[in-house]
Amino acid sequence: MSTKPADQPGRPQSVEELSARLGEQAYLADRGLATAVFLSLSLGQPLLLEGEAGVGKTEVAKALAPALGAELVRLQCYEGIDAHQALYEWDYTRQLLYARLLQEGRELREDAADEIFGPRFLVERPLLQAVRAGDRAVLLIDEIDRADDEFEAFLLEMLSDFQVTVPELGTIRAERPPAVVLTSNRTRELHDALKRRCLYHWIDYPSLDREVEILAARAPAVPADLARRVAAAVDRIRTLDLVKAPGVAETIEWAKALAFLGVSQLERDSVDVTLGAVVKDHDDLVRIRDDLERILAYD
Amino acid sequence: MTDDGRGGGGTQVVPALAGFGRELRAAGLRVGTGQVLSFCQGLSHLDPTDLRDLYWSGRACLVSHRDDLTAYDAAFGRYFLGEAAPRLVADTDRAPTVDSIGARPLDTPAPVVGGERRPSAEDVGQAASEVELLRAKDFAECDPDELAAIGRLMTGLVVGTPTRKTRRTERARKGARPDLRRALRTHVRHGGADLRIPRRRPRIRPRPLVLLLDVSGSMSSYSRALLQFAYAVARGPGRVEVFCFGTRLTRVSGALARRDPDEALRRAAETVVDWQGGTRIGESIREYLRTWAWRGGFRGGVVVVCSDGLERGDPEVLAAAMARLARLAYRVFWVNPLKTGPAYEPATRGMRAALPHIDLLVSGHNLASLASLGAVLEALD
Repeated sequence: MSTKPADQPGRPQSVEELSARLGEQAYLADRGLATAVFLSLSLGQPLLLEGEAGVGKTEVAKALAPALGAELVRLQCYEGIDAHQALYEWDYTRQLLYARLLQEGRELREDAADEIFGPRFLVERPLLQAVRAGDRAVLLIDEIDRADDEFEAFLLEMLSDFQVTVPELGTIRAERPPAVVLTSNRTRELHDALKRRCLYHWIDYPSLDREVEILAARAPAVPADLARRVAAAVDRIRTLDLVKAPGVAETIEWAKALAFLGVSQLERDSVDVTLGAVVKDHDDLVRIRDDLERILAYD
Repeated sequence: MTDDGRGGGGTQVVPALAGFGRELRAAGLRVGTGQVLSFCQGLSHLDPTDLRDLYWSGRACLVSHRDDLTAYDAAFGRYFLGEAAPRLVADTDRAPTVDSIGARPLDTPAPVVGGERRPSAEDVGQAASEVELLRAKDFAECDPDELAAIGRLMTGLVVGTPTRKTRRTERARKGARPDLRRALRTHVRHGGADLRIPRRRPRIRPRPLVLLLDVSGSMSSYSRALLQFAYAVARGPGRVEVFCFGTRLTRVSGALARRDPDEALRRAAETVVDWQGGTRIGESIREYLRTWAWRGGFRGGVVVVCSDGLERGDPEVLAAAMARLARLAYRVFWVNPLKTGPAYEPATRGMRAALPHIDLLVSGHNLASLASLGAVLEALD
């Protein structure tokens, strides 16, 4: 199953083109990330993204879907998720009702069982949707580390052949596999077998300049000068020894909050009331308030 | 995946790329053949003469752990840029751990646990006959042979890990939730004549367990026994993380995951840098919270801190760290070998600071009390 990008209309032909298309979706990918995504598309291998919370792992998939003209199919993992919640489920209540209707008096129909286990009563879940859509979809498997390892094993199988067998309906297979992005916050180490099947990219906090650019793209309403000050302050906050350092998402929220309040300078008062947008741990807040002068220093 | 054989665009390139894979393996990374294949195929879509393409595609294809990125950068520099680097790994294929690649001089103290002469069979036999005696003997009063015997007793100790209900369910005769999926199947099969409704109940799984072991000087009589205890626990069914601390925190779970206890303990002992330095309990727990706990991997877990509470740092820091630990964890236990009786009054400042945040304080100065700690852990629900 050769999936060179040239075979697939709508797929970018080079790393630069991919970067530009993601840029149109207001996602600024650095060279490393763009290369990883490009390779993932070219080789037809899933891309595993890791990084601190809030650095934009999920956003990659959200931007990639429109950049490829594809539909985003999202599977949010959580503790206890099982194959049926990810693949498909029969609509049991409606099936039972229908079975009861069939029973009540009317002539016995030969194909009743086929009908009960037919497409009418099948509830498609994200993985089946993605298999059906094939390369017209970007499949985002979000926070895979939250699911347990049994689910990981199931996913591994699924990602290797992109086919789903519903015993009553037969096998459904993706002719061209969808683009797959997995994200993990590293709350637990993923299994090596899964990691080996994926391309891997660690997303770091962006540099100061990059974060200013991200603010310009993501929060255009924020004045450029304020954006720079906010990015500089967040950059300093990240160097503190915090329980949870703010991610890019927090930077954007904070800049938006300040702009909404009509603030153009970072001053003690305005910062004090909006700090909750960027730091969300009590101990951290105390720490930062102690050190506010240095954090807000701007030159 | 491409199988058109266009691997990197030339016959000279592929061996060079494969050679880089070997270089990475020598540097301690686990690189599979499939990954090297992806790397070669990936470069056929890129420009193999562009160093940036080479660097980033290699990073995406060949690295699958964040911790390996430094080693990757170093290997890339050596292999493609010809940067001189001290090659600790000569021509061995057996990769050392990434730790040993670091520029740390070989000044780590001799391993405390393994490495020494194993007692002869007679010693073992004699010690085994005195099991009951040993069980009650304070670790500090044991001689090396006795400690070795205790170590073997401990490896035989199966320590239960605490459990919790999960959101996944399993079939059960009497469960709280009806199983609609099976209900429909039996309904169809029996033509609606079966009135029993199958049930499901939440599945029980082990809770994460975290051991934080003090290996500072004041604990030296106990730290070896505690490490052996950690080994016994780590072999249990649940997810167990083990850390050692003195002035700083070291994760030894990886080292303890070996089958051979002597080897596991030797590796763990090598991993710990500050055997018998001072103690900064508060800092170490904070370090644990910052680098490991916030990710949530142990939410709902049980933490066991083993320390005598002789804190050299600021007790305030310890109190704050313990408070946070207690909020994140399901239960916090403290093992203090100095607590030898029920009338124990915490004398040290550190212990007093930590005490309000501890669910249970046990002594753990001998095998019997560690075994009873194991029983307490198992009984948690």
